[in-house]
Amino acid sequence: MTDVVIAGYARSPFHLATKGALARVRPDDLAAQVIRGLLEKTKVDPAEIEDIILGCAFPEGGQGLNVARLIGLLADLPLSVGGMTVNRFCGSSMSAIHIAVGQIAIGAGEAFICAGLESMSRIPMGGYNPMPSPELMKKRPGAYMGMGETAENVAQKYQITRAQQEALAVDSQHKAAAARAAGKLTEEIIPIQTKGGVVSEDGTIRGETTVEALAGLKPAFDKDGTVTAGTSSPLTDGASAVLVTSAAFAAKHGLTVLAKIKSVGVSGCAPETMGLGPIEASRKALARAGISVDDLDVVEINEAFASQAIACIRDLGLKDETINIDGGALAIGHPLGATGARIVGKAASLLAREGGRYALATQCIGGGQGIATVLERA
Amino acid sequence: MMLGEPIRKVCVIGSGTMGAGIAAQVANAGIPVLLLDIVPRDGANNGGDRDAIAKGAVAKMLKTDPAPFMSKRAAKLVETGNIDDHLGRVAECDWVVEAIVERLDIKQSLYEKLEAVKKPGTAVSSNTSTIPLANLVEGRSEQFKRDFLITHFFNPPRYMRLLEIVTGPDTDADLARRVEDFSDRALGKRIVHAKDTPGFIANRIGTYWLAVAVNAAMDQGITVEEADQIGGSPMGVPRTGIFGLIDLVGVDLMPLLSASLSSTLPKGDPYFETVRDMPLVEKMIAEGYTGRKGKGGFYRLDKSGGKKTKQSLDLATGEYRAEQKPEKLPGKAEKDLAALVTVPGKVGDYAWTILGHVLSYSAKLVGEAADDVVAIDDAMKLGYNWKFGPFELIDRLGPGKLAERLAAEGRPVPALLKSSGTNPFYRIENGQRQYLSADGTYRDVRRAEGVVLLEDIKRASQPLLKTGSAALWDVGDGVAAIEFTGKMNALDEEVIKLINQAIPLVKASFKALIVYNEGTNFSAGANLGLAMFAVNIAAWSEIEKLIAGGQTAFKALKYAPFPVVSAPAGLALGGGCEICLNSDAIQAHAETYIGLVECGVGLVPGWGGNGEMLDRAAKAKMMPKGPMPALSKVFQTISTATVAKSAAEAQELLFLRETDGITMNRDRLLADAKAKALSLVDGYAPPEPPTFRLAGESGRVGINGAVRDFQKKGMATAYDGVVSDRLAEVLTGGEADIIDTVTEDQLLRLERKAFLASTKDPRTQARVEAMLMTGKPLRN
Repeated sequence: MTDVVIAGYARSPFHLATKGALARVRPDDLAAQVIRGLLEKTKVDPAEIEDIILGCAFPEGGQGLNVARLIGLLADLPLSVGGMTVNRFCGSSMSAIHIAVGQIAIGAGEAFICAGLESMSRIPMGGYNPMPSPELMKKRPGAYMGMGETAENVAQKYQITRAQQEALAVDSQHKAAAARAAGKLTEEIIPIQTKGGVVSEDGTIRGETTVEALAGLKPAFDKDGTVTAGTSSPLTDGASAVLVTSAAFAAKHGLTVLAKIKSVGVSGCAPETMGLGPIEASRKALARAGISVDDLDVVEINEAFASQAIACIRDLGLKDETINIDGGALAIGHPLGATGARIVGKAASLLAREGGRYALATQCIGGGQGIATVLERA
Repeated sequence: MMLGEPIRKVCVIGSGTMGAGIAAQVANAGIPVLLLDIVPRDGANNGGDRDAIAKGAVAKMLKTDPAPFMSKRAAKLVETGNIDDHLGRVAECDWVVEAIVERLDIKQSLYEKLEAVKKPGTAVSSNTSTIPLANLVEGRSEQFKRDFLITHFFNPPRYMRLLEIVTGPDTDADLARRVEDFSDRALGKRIVHAKDTPGFIANRIGTYWLAVAVNAAMDQGITVEEADQIGGSPMGVPRTGIFGLIDLVGVDLMPLLSASLSSTLPKGDPYFETVRDMPLVEKMIAEGYTGRKGKGGFYRLDKSGGKKTKQSLDLATGEYRAEQKPEKLPGKAEKDLAALVTVPGKVGDYAWTILGHVLSYSAKLVGEAADDVVAIDDAMKLGYNWKFGPFELIDRLGPGKLAERLAAEGRPVPALLKSSGTNPFYRIENGQRQYLSADGTYRDVRRAEGVVLLEDIKRASQPLLKTGSAALWDVGDGVAAIEFTGKMNALDEEVIKLINQAIPLVKASFKALIVYNEGTNFSAGANLGLAMFAVNIAAWSEIEKLIAGGQTAFKALKYAPFPVVSAPAGLALGGGCEICLNSDAIQAHAETYIGLVECGVGLVPGWGGNGEMLDRAAKAKMMPKGPMPALSKVFQTISTATVAKSAAEAQELLFLRETDGITMNRDRLLADAKAKALSLVDGYAPPEPPTFRLAGESGRVGINGAVRDFQKKGMATAYDGVVSDRLAEVLTGGEADIIDTVTEDQLLRLERKAFLASTKDPRTQARVEAMLMTGKPLRN
């Protein structure tokens, strides 16, 4: 197989939907600014880009039509650069990367921008016109189950207490706050021009939070449940992008390679416990890479909910010190379509920054799936 | 301000409860307002924000209930600032309202600064409640004096309809008229002209009344419960009575009012006889029993021992004890004032002490504080929510009776009572209400220019049609009006009968029809009691008839060959909301509380409300495309029985269209509704029936999923889910597919089916029964 590498990663700051600093920013504009930022940062010649592959979970309204193409035009990319919008819900932009890997492998291009986008302020979760199939609703109601309820199901199935979930949430917040304070997030963030001024920092992180504060919250989805707003990733606005190229292309153009893509995997699971998706997907990807969990030095596992992250960490036997070193989605946020590119880009940059050899980026997906990417240090 | 120019911007100085509340009401009228206060002394504690005080007042109002603002939109019209930096901006304003601390020196110093920056002709008014106008303008220029008047609002300014206006000898008449006109039409106030005397009218009588009633209770061994019973509803005083009212406004306000009036009233005023040391009140204030805002007042809720018990203060011992419900008043005493004051023993004595004093004091004030009895009656009715003014009470007591008893007791009889003899203060002459003026002649009670009241029309004419629960009136200019007349203005087959009779009559002899009444509430909806009766005897065909009859009648109104305008004020619930929705236009009073509340009692709207709301939502600006957004919005509003807290909010909830009108002054609603209806007459064509593209079963499945999530969260009961599903079936068009066109008639059929299914459900019956028995919703 042709070696494929991550040759750059950037994202917008992440902000709370509706009340955050990006609520009034159009999603297409947000992604265009991130992509321009990535191009400037990597100094790749835009004319060399084959395609923009962009993930979005609810591609409607301002992120509707074929928004990937529109973003390319907005970002003043050469007309020769293509654009394709991909939907695998939360796994959308990780899928965008996987598609690029495949395209490069079959010789259908050498450089791709793989991006992700979600404005949860401007496009409601579920979209404007959800029209579930009555037949499927009867046959498999879990297919349409709210994400919060699936998190409760996982907590129940794995007997994960509320206190355990809150401990993870506080840990994630503290790690994110520490990383920000140490300037470790600055590198990846592209400041966004808005009507209200330039936004250059995340608006989601609550480093001051405590176990006691979280213990005071009401259950968010089930009055008798254990999942709260504090142990769920917040509704978030954000965009992210990575530059995916063949190793040869990167070498030829003198790009800074963060990591090599070693293997990928996707696996379906029960929709009612969609949060367990990363387990099988990761196992597949690790097997394809020919490595085991013990070989991992960096893990980016998306914290859609604390309960599902804990369940996956347990089942996979992930090592604490490798997990979400700069904090996870509970703290940083989870703009659905943008998360996959963020955690792959983040895992690649952590390998570059922290050393070590292998990294895993993995996430759960509504409807019952998991997706995983294994990286190797370049 | 030039003659005839409207007021486009207002500045309010002082952001305390009154100033902030006045600013909010100006904003409610859609007029931008600049709210200024002083720069905080501890600026550093407010992060150096020099506007912190005024900003804080607006923030506080956004959390206050009942809300000073009618909508979030209104709140955005208030701009905040401080006197030191922004006083110069009064040059942008057409009216400056001063509502700062009640101290003459501070007010005078502000006026001096204002004089330097304001444009000549910009009105300046004070919201003072005690300081004479003559003192306020001391040392000011002739121009300032021409521009100055007193506008005394009542608390809370949004809800209290009284505005006392005092002008001085130098006040420019045109300028005063423009402020009055704005306060009337834009702020919705009824203007009462008061003379430049301490406390003006309402507070002067009100303070005297409370002092007399409190003293008498203590002297005559009357308990607080007895005082509130005797001094409450028989006299047309709100349920809070005497002591309940003091608890509501604040026990600590009593000594302040007393001190302020004592320092300004002329010597020999009867008020001074009421002034005495009040050790009990002083003790209450010292211990924090300042009323509802404090730990309690004359009444309190005792929470010791784990449960809440109502307690009252024993006026003799000063200790709290369990509430003692007084005995029912004997005989006719509840309804008949003459009977009340002659009840032997303490009931009659107490009632007479209050009425004898307060009514003769009021009589003394004609000429002194107000020009005529109408001003005094209006002030007490609008400022203290009395059902009858003092002179209406004198008439109810029996003309001549008050003077007779005062004389018999050797007490002074005010000149007005002597001269009036046994003549009533009010009479009806040729259908016109007249009042007795000080010169002994009767004069017409005049409404403000342009005000039309059904009350007056009814006095002077006969209804065109009348049934058991409704009437049709000729309200002039070719417009007829349907009035509901049943209890709570509930809707029943008698209302439907009247609608059916009215349509041919209006078609033959009138240009337009309005639906209007002057009850406290437009309509609380269908008569549930009657419906329950039919349910109890399983008269399903009768229920179906009532529903179908209502649908047919409301649609007949909608498609009648003349314009129909509904003009709600107060509650417009259920069927009361649906008649509005089926009209060509709505002209709503600003204080209209409209909603489809059927789901709360386990029903679904049955008189066309569903289709009307879907149509409004589908046509609303900014509504995303597709079948679900409009449906979701309507489902959310109806399934949660949402009631708008103002006409402005009703617009946000889509009960009102952008083209519907809002009237701020309740007195002008009928005139505005008529004007709205007449504006539609030229070239009128009935509306085309709407058609709907509905989501069908897929949409219903989606909605049910969302309801299930609410149930999981504990926010909806099991039966809420059933009712919601019935509603969802209607709103999604039942068997319809997204590519089908659903007609209005098909939707009405679905609505009837869902309504009937609900009435047959014992869980709905339990909800309706609970509502009828307790007035509270049952959450089964």
